[in-house]
Amino acid sequence: MAMSQRAKKKKSLKLLADFYAILIYAVFYIPVVVMMVFSFNDQRNNYYWAGFTTKWYGELFNNHALTDSLWYSVVIAVLATLISVTIGTIGALGLRKFEFKGRRFINQMLYIPIIVPEIVLAVAILVVFMTVGVRLGMGSILIGHCTFCIPYAVVTIKGRISGDDNSMEEASMDLGANRLQTFFRVTLPSIMPGVMSAAFLSFTLSIDDVVMSNMLAGAKQSTLPVLILSMSRSGVTPDANALTTLMILIIVIAMVLNNYVKSALKKRRKKEVNL
Amino acid sequence: MNLKKLTAVLLMLVLVASLAACGGGAAEEPEASTELNIYMWNEYISDELIANFEAENNCKVNLSYMSDNADAITKLTAGGGQEYDLIMTCDAYMESLVAGDYVQAINFDNVPNATANINEAYWAAKEYCVPYLMNYIYVVYDTERCPIEITGYQDLVDPALAGQIGSVDGARNLFPIALVALGYDPNSTEESEIAEAYEWLVDYNNNVVAYGGTELNITNGTVSVIFTYDGNASWAMSELGENNNLVIAPFESDPVQLGFDLYVIPKGAAHVDLAEKFLNYICVPEVMAANLEEFPYSCPNDAAVAVASDTYKNDPARDFGYKQNVFFQEDVGEAITIYNDYYQKLKVGE
Repeated sequence: MAMSQRAKKKKSLKLLADFYAILIYAVFYIPVVVMMVFSFNDQRNNYYWAGFTTKWYGELFNNHALTDSLWYSVVIAVLATLISVTIGTIGALGLRKFEFKGRRFINQMLYIPIIVPEIVLAVAILVVFMTVGVRLGMGSILIGHCTFCIPYAVVTIKGRISGDDNSMEEASMDLGANRLQTFFRVTLPSIMPGVMSAAFLSFTLSIDDVVMSNMLAGAKQSTLPVLILSMSRSGVTPDANALTTLMILIIVIAMVLNNYVKSALKKRRKKEVNL
Repeated sequence: MNLKKLTAVLLMLVLVASLAACGGGAAEEPEASTELNIYMWNEYISDELIANFEAENNCKVNLSYMSDNADAITKLTAGGGQEYDLIMTCDAYMESLVAGDYVQAINFDNVPNATANINEAYWAAKEYCVPYLMNYIYVVYDTERCPIEITGYQDLVDPALAGQIGSVDGARNLFPIALVALGYDPNSTEESEIAEAYEWLVDYNNNVVAYGGTELNITNGTVSVIFTYDGNASWAMSELGENNNLVIAPFESDPVQLGFDLYVIPKGAAHVDLAEKFLNYICVPEVMAANLEEFPYSCPNDAAVAVASDTYKNDPARDFGYKQNVFFQEDVGEAITIYNDYYQKLKVGE
C-alpha cells in the first residue's frame, strides 16, 4: 500500500516535471515558431496575418541590404572566432600552465569585459578609435567583437586544462617531440572540446551582437542584427523573418549532422577498443 | 628580455598604425566626390529617389541606419562624424550640436531649393540643417472600441482606459504631454514640475499596454488608443481600409508636439559637395512629392506638398483642425538629466 502510494506520488511528480519542462521549452521556442510562421505572411510590414505566401523567400535574395549584411556578419563572426580561439587557447595555456608575475591580476582582469555592460565598452572603444584615427568599418567591428569573445574563449578553454599535471606533455617531449609537435599532437587534442565550445560561443556572441556593431559600424555596411534592429521602427519585414528562418534551418541541420557524426565516431571508437 | 619587450611594443605600434592607415587610405577622394555616406532612419526615404540621385550624379550613396536618435548623437559626440556626410537628427538636439561644434554650416548657395521651398516656420537653426520630414505626435483612437471620448491629454489617465493605450516612447515625447496636462510649459526645466509630471506618467503607464509599434497594435486590435506620429497613424488608417473607425482625438485646447527630422553635415565630412547636392535634390518639389507617396509624413516643403498627389493631400491622418496649436521640443540644457532620472524611474520602477 505504502509502495503504491509512493509510486503514485512519483508518477504525479514526474508528470509535473514533464509539464514544467514543456513549459520551459514553450517559452523558448514559441517566439521562434511565431517568427517562422510570419515569414509566410502576405503583408508587407508584418503587422498582422494576411494570408499564406512563400514570396518573401524569393524576394529575400533580391534584398541586397539584407543578404549583404548577412554575409558581412558571417565574415566578421568567422574571423572573430578564429582570432578569439587562437588568442584564447594561447592565453588559457599560459595562464594555466605557467607561473609568472601578475598572473592572478590578468586572470581577474579577464572578467572585466564580460562584466562591464557592453554599451559602456562599445562607447569606450568608439572614443579610443576616434582619438587614434581608426576608421569605422569591418576592422573596427572585428576588434570590438574580439574584446568580448577573447575573455569568454580563455575562460572556457581554461576549464579544460588540468593545471598541475604536465605528465603527458613531458612524456611526449621525452619521446623526442619538440614543443610545437607536443602542442599540436598532445596538448591541443586534449583540450579540443574546450576549444570547440569556445569557438561556438565566440561565433554565437559575434553573429548576434548588436550593441558593439551598432556603435562601431562604418558608413558603408552594417551587420544583420543592426539592420534588423533599425527596421523595428517601421516593422520588421517578412523577408527578414524568411532569412532568420533559413538561418535556423541551417543551424538545426548542422546540429543534427554534428550529433550524427559524433555518435558514429563513438561507435567506431568503441569497436576499436573492443578489438 | 628587454629587447623582447621592446620588439613587442614596436610590433603593437606597427599594428595600430597599420590599422589607422588602412582605414585612412579610403578617405582620400578626387575633387568631385563619387560617394555619399548617409546615416538615417531605416524605411524613411524612397529607394527610387536614391537611385535617381545616384544616376544623375554618377555616384554611390551608402545608407546606414540608426535604431535610435541617440545612436546618431553618440557617434557624433564621440567624434565619429567624419565617417558620414549627412546625419539625420531631430530639432531637439540642434542647439547642443551647434554649441558643441559637431555640425558645420551649410552653404545655401548650393542648396537654393531649400531656401526657396521650405517653410521658414518649420526651420530652426537654419544655417546648420535642412528639415526633411516632420511628425505631429497626437492621439488617435478607435471610436468603436475606445470606452471614452478623448479631448485632451488628461483623458489618457482615465482609469477607463486601463489596458487600452499604445504609445510612442522616449522621455522627451512622454514628459511634455504630462506637463501640458498639468498646465506647465512642455519644455519645463523645473524639477518640481517634472516630478509632478512623473507622477502623472505613472498613471498613464498603468493604462499603456505597449510602447512602440503603435500602428501595429491598433491595426491588430491590441489597443484602442494610440499616442503616435501622424505618419504611423496614416499607415494604420490605410491598412485598415476606408471604413475604419479611427479618429484623430478632437483636442479642445491642449497643443500637440511637432517634431522635425532634419539633415546635418557633420564637422569633418569628406564629401560636402555631394551632401549639398543631395540636400538640394530632395528639396526639388516633384522629387519630394514622389517621396511623400511612399512615406506619407507631414512635410515642411510647401512647394512639394502643393504638387503632391490628392491621396497625400487628402490623407485623413493629417486632417485635423488644431495643426497650428503645436509646441516644439526645445533643448532643456542641464535639466535633461532630471528628465532622464525620472524617465528611468518610470521605466524601471523605484
